[in-house]
Amino acid sequence: MNDKVTIKIPRRLYAKIQQLITDSGFNSATDFIVYVLRDVLSEKPDDSSSEFSAEELKALKQKLRNLGYLD
Amino acid sequence: MSNRLVVIGLDCVTPQLLYGDWLEEMPHIRRLMSGGYSGNLISTIPPITVPAWMSMMTSHDPGMLGCYGFRNRKSYEYEDLYITNSNHIEAKTVWNHLSRHRLRSILLGVPLTYPPKPLNGILVSSFLAPGKDVDFTYPPEYKATLEEVVGGDYIIDVKNFRTTHKERLRDQIYAMTERRFKAYRHMLTTEDWDFAMMVEMGPDRIHHGFWRYGDSEHRLYEQGNPYQDVIHDYYLYLDQEIGRTLETLPDDVSVIVVSDHGAKGMKGGICINEFLIKNDFLKLKSYPKEPTRLRPHMIDWPKTKVWGEGGYYARMFMNVEDREPQGTIPSREYDSFRRDLKQMIQSIPDSHGEPIGTKVFLPEEVYRKCKNIPPDLIVYLGDLDWRSAGTVGHRKIHIFENDTGPDDANHAQEGIFIWHNHPKLGTGGDNKVSIYDVAPSILDFYSIPIPDEMVGTPLHHA
Repeated sequence: MNDKVTIKIPRRLYAKIQQLITDSGFNSATDFIVYVLRDVLSEKPDDSSSEFSAEELKALKQKLRNLGYLD
Repeated sequence: MSNRLVVIGLDCVTPQLLYGDWLEEMPHIRRLMSGGYSGNLISTIPPITVPAWMSMMTSHDPGMLGCYGFRNRKSYEYEDLYITNSNHIEAKTVWNHLSRHRLRSILLGVPLTYPPKPLNGILVSSFLAPGKDVDFTYPPEYKATLEEVVGGDYIIDVKNFRTTHKERLRDQIYAMTERRFKAYRHMLTTEDWDFAMMVEMGPDRIHHGFWRYGDSEHRLYEQGNPYQDVIHDYYLYLDQEIGRTLETLPDDVSVIVVSDHGAKGMKGGICINEFLIKNDFLKLKSYPKEPTRLRPHMIDWPKTKVWGEGGYYARMFMNVEDREPQGTIPSREYDSFRRDLKQMIQSIPDSHGEPIGTKVFLPEEVYRKCKNIPPDLIVYLGDLDWRSAGTVGHRKIHIFENDTGPDDANHAQEGIFIWHNHPKLGTGGDNKVSIYDVAPSILDFYSIPIPDEMVGTPLHHA
């Protein structure tokens, strides 16, 4: 499932962001925009983005049991 | 003095070992201490990796984070638990604030950073990543660099320390630690950064796997055993890795060495659910023939008032009317019942009937607020000398072999804290540092205003 959407922003703004992120740690304008939006909105993710897949969850639970954190 | 700060996080490194007799043999730690501010770090309640590191990096208590442990209740249904990940943390971390101030961070192995989120810098997440086939770094391409740097196999964590294959475990811990420090040195020397932080899980794993062999007070200690010096040698090895790392940095860089909690010998396990069964608070549909993990479907809910979870500490959950699906404790009796239960748990003795000094906390009394669903009680059995065994079928309350495999250490409330080259703090030992003061102190180091929502305050020279 594609859990991302496309959003349009003014080209000049995009160019400005590209300039801003040059030599910063941000990998792309998209990453920077996501970072800023999360920062502003204090993102509370919906359940689907917070959850591990069933397989991952099973592996993680086993790992946490092995590490003594769960019984 | 430089305005760059390097944090070396050592999960579970414990003051009685680091600051004890072995310190003589650790020249690099000694140097950091003699030119720095040091003491014990007072951890979160509970002193567990999750939430402790995240509390340290946000200056939010577990209640404010809404993160009470690795697993949290999503609703008051009996089986509705989720495993916490970085998406559940709304509070801003130190590196979020630094990114906002255009300062660049490199992060390696900080717990609860998976899935990795974009930042001004590089992030390699930690042992809560499901595996290495997922994107566990930011940017995702950094994963390949990491593998290359360490020569092919970066180890996020050991697979299992509850094993009888002790040599294999020791080798694996060393390999993990060596590769993590190697990766950190690579990041420190090839990237631009203002703030750098790594967390190594090895000390925690080695304490749990080898405590009985080196602690002459431990009931399973045998003099002359082949693993007598494993923890000692590993501490000396950590000191060497720290020394190698410091060599790559200019002398004036500021350095923090910190752990999230300490460690202590484990006397045994208290089967918290057996205690509840014995006191008619918990009723099973049928009592198992052998030790079995307690699952919700085994419980006769209309006849049950309380159930508990195991781990290094215990969490108690009450079955309350109009709250849980088949609640039995009337809401109006919730508080009095809970306080009575607290008293009863506090008076659980050891196997000889002697008191053990159990501490029981009410979440709303130890946290500023309680987001999401906290446990009804948080319990340190024998002040963490005993672990909580959640399994049932033992027909007794005290057990002396771990119900989930060999593990000889428990967590302790106090960890370690050393800050070398701080422009204002000066030098001195024996300080007590609240885990909540670390994040505001780091922001203060960069002259960034401390957000109101942070619990702690910057450390200052006494």
